[in-house]
Amino acid sequence: MYDLFIAPLTETYFQKALIGGSIIAVVASVVGCLVVLRRMAFLGDALSHAMIAGVAGGYLVMKLLFSLEAHAPGMLLGSLIAAITTVALISFVSRISRVKEDTAIGIMYTGIFALGVVAVSIFRHYIHIDLMHFIMGDILGVADTDLWVSAFVAAIVLTILILFFRHFQITTFDPIMAASIGLPVMFIDYLLTICVSLVVVSAVSMVGVILVVGLLITPAATAYLLCDRLDKMMWLAALFGVTSVVGGLYLCVWLDSAGGGAIMLFCTLQFLVVLAVAPKYGLMARWLRLRNLIPQQQVEDILTTILRYEKPTPMSVILQYVEQEKGIKKALGSMIGEGLLSEAEKGYSLTDAGHREATKVLKAHRLWETYLESIGTPQEELHPTAHQLEHISDRSTVDYLDEKLGKPATDPHGKTIR
Amino acid sequence: MTIDNNYVIEVEHLTVSYHAKPALLDISVRIEKDQLVGVIGPNGAGKSTFIKAILGFIKPDVGTVRINGRSAQKTKGEVAYVPQRGAVDWDFPITVEEVALMGRYQQIPWYTSPSDEDRQAALEALKMVRMEDFAQRQIGELSGGQQQRVFLARALAQGSDILLLDEPFAGVDAATERAILDVLERAKQAGKTLVVVHHDLSTAAEYFDRLILIKQRLYAYGPPRLVLREDLLSKVYEGRLRIFSEVLKGGES
Repeated sequence: MYDLFIAPLTETYFQKALIGGSIIAVVASVVGCLVVLRRMAFLGDALSHAMIAGVAGGYLVMKLLFSLEAHAPGMLLGSLIAAITTVALISFVSRISRVKEDTAIGIMYTGIFALGVVAVSIFRHYIHIDLMHFIMGDILGVADTDLWVSAFVAAIVLTILILFFRHFQITTFDPIMAASIGLPVMFIDYLLTICVSLVVVSAVSMVGVILVVGLLITPAATAYLLCDRLDKMMWLAALFGVTSVVGGLYLCVWLDSAGGGAIMLFCTLQFLVVLAVAPKYGLMARWLRLRNLIPQQQVEDILTTILRYEKPTPMSVILQYVEQEKGIKKALGSMIGEGLLSEAEKGYSLTDAGHREATKVLKAHRLWETYLESIGTPQEELHPTAHQLEHISDRSTVDYLDEKLGKPATDPHGKTIR
Repeated sequence: MTIDNNYVIEVEHLTVSYHAKPALLDISVRIEKDQLVGVIGPNGAGKSTFIKAILGFIKPDVGTVRINGRSAQKTKGEVAYVPQRGAVDWDFPITVEEVALMGRYQQIPWYTSPSDEDRQAALEALKMVRMEDFAQRQIGELSGGQQQRVFLARALAQGSDILLLDEPFAGVDAATERAILDVLERAKQAGKTLVVVHHDLSTAAEYFDRLILIKQRLYAYGPPRLVLREDLLSKVYEGRLRIFSEVLKGGES
């Protein structure tokens, strides 16, 4: 037990990874809520890829001008510039050409990512960036400067999000209303894009280019399955972000695997578990809802059976006439609850409401039978076919049949229609 | 220029163009207060441009739009907007109460949170549309008519005297349509002016006090019986005349 849980905590690298990862996960998850709701997940992916050009540029400029090796703030600024350039190019291309936005995003981010890769390889004697490290991230090798940068970024972004929460909420939910009360919608959109870029840029060093978009959207989407308010969704997303980092890091130590990968694996599993068990929007809830749904057909069959039997009907008779035997107990129970039936010692009988419903279905049945006969359906098929069709018993259908058949008084078997 | 208090929206010689094509051409119309006004016209007639002009989103090529006597671009928030159903993300994590509260956002300074007074105003607005019992529901759980009422409550909470509704009757069943109309009528009686973009000519005469018929140009503005005339409609709806006999009958009854 001690070895499993406490021992890793005593290691400095583990502590740093835990602190740095948690900071980034919190801010990424909170921003991620807006990313998910605005459907800009692909843009987040694009930003993370584009920043390699910025990192290379920032590295190069700081090295050539100030001979500083791997200057973190310089690279951060470079990445930010690259991210914003990408966004500007994307909106430019999708506005002026017939190319749609998703394609424009795809073109621009791969282009700028490629520029970064080419730059890093050309200037490999000046720039000491490990591309693999960049792509996969290295949360277990978090340096103190990374910690400071991420804490700084998190502080800025969280402050902006808390201060302008309502503005982000309304521009996401109803941009036209936002503009109509005079909010600078464009500015708020850009502000959000900058926040996303900042988060992405500082998260890449930990989980890598490929996984960063997952850190952005997965905890947010997990919270989305559980919440009906944006503020709560943000709190919960932050919590899920932190649990992903904690769980992922332990996973990584126990399995001796890659840190970023373990975190995102844990994060995704967490999402799947919530997807399965979420009380309102989960799969199990959905399945239960469907299961508890009593087929209308079964209800109507029970009603007409009791109506035809004309006295309190025992279970055995109902079972004899109702096609679907499965779940009949439950159906009867729910019909009593809805006030269609009452239960006595001798069996079930119809209430007034139940009687009305049953008469309606029976009338439809008899009209359908008359109609089927009029179009030349063989005698022996009349009843079974009408039995299927009687469930189409809405007013306009019934009225149409009645009209068309000249308001018949009796059905083919001589029973009264009314 | 004198301000005539009876006109809440004054549009004068409004021309708006996109790429040298006029979306609206020389529109002049004055809308009196306490009216239920329908804006009708075929697809692509410039109805949405007209909405944007009233909301002050676009700079006209020529002409002016005045809301309560002042330029539309300077009267942000004096016209409350109710979006089209299709434009709303009904899965958005937001409750009925929060939507109504949005009506107050303009008054709340950016550095503070909504006060009790704001929440009270939102709740009052929900009471006016009889939705207070649903305050904590997520908006996707409501029926079509209830959803429309929530957005109406938001517009009421905004305190505007002018409400602009974009196709509130699109994609709702007949019973819901009645329910929405009831709410609009009551808002009118409470002294609001409602401008409603409307698609269905067959109900236009029954629902509205005034109709605006546009297709780039203004073809008519006035009481339904003066607007729903065969000659005007055939000009605007070019050749799709079959439907009109019924509309005209409805207009007379």
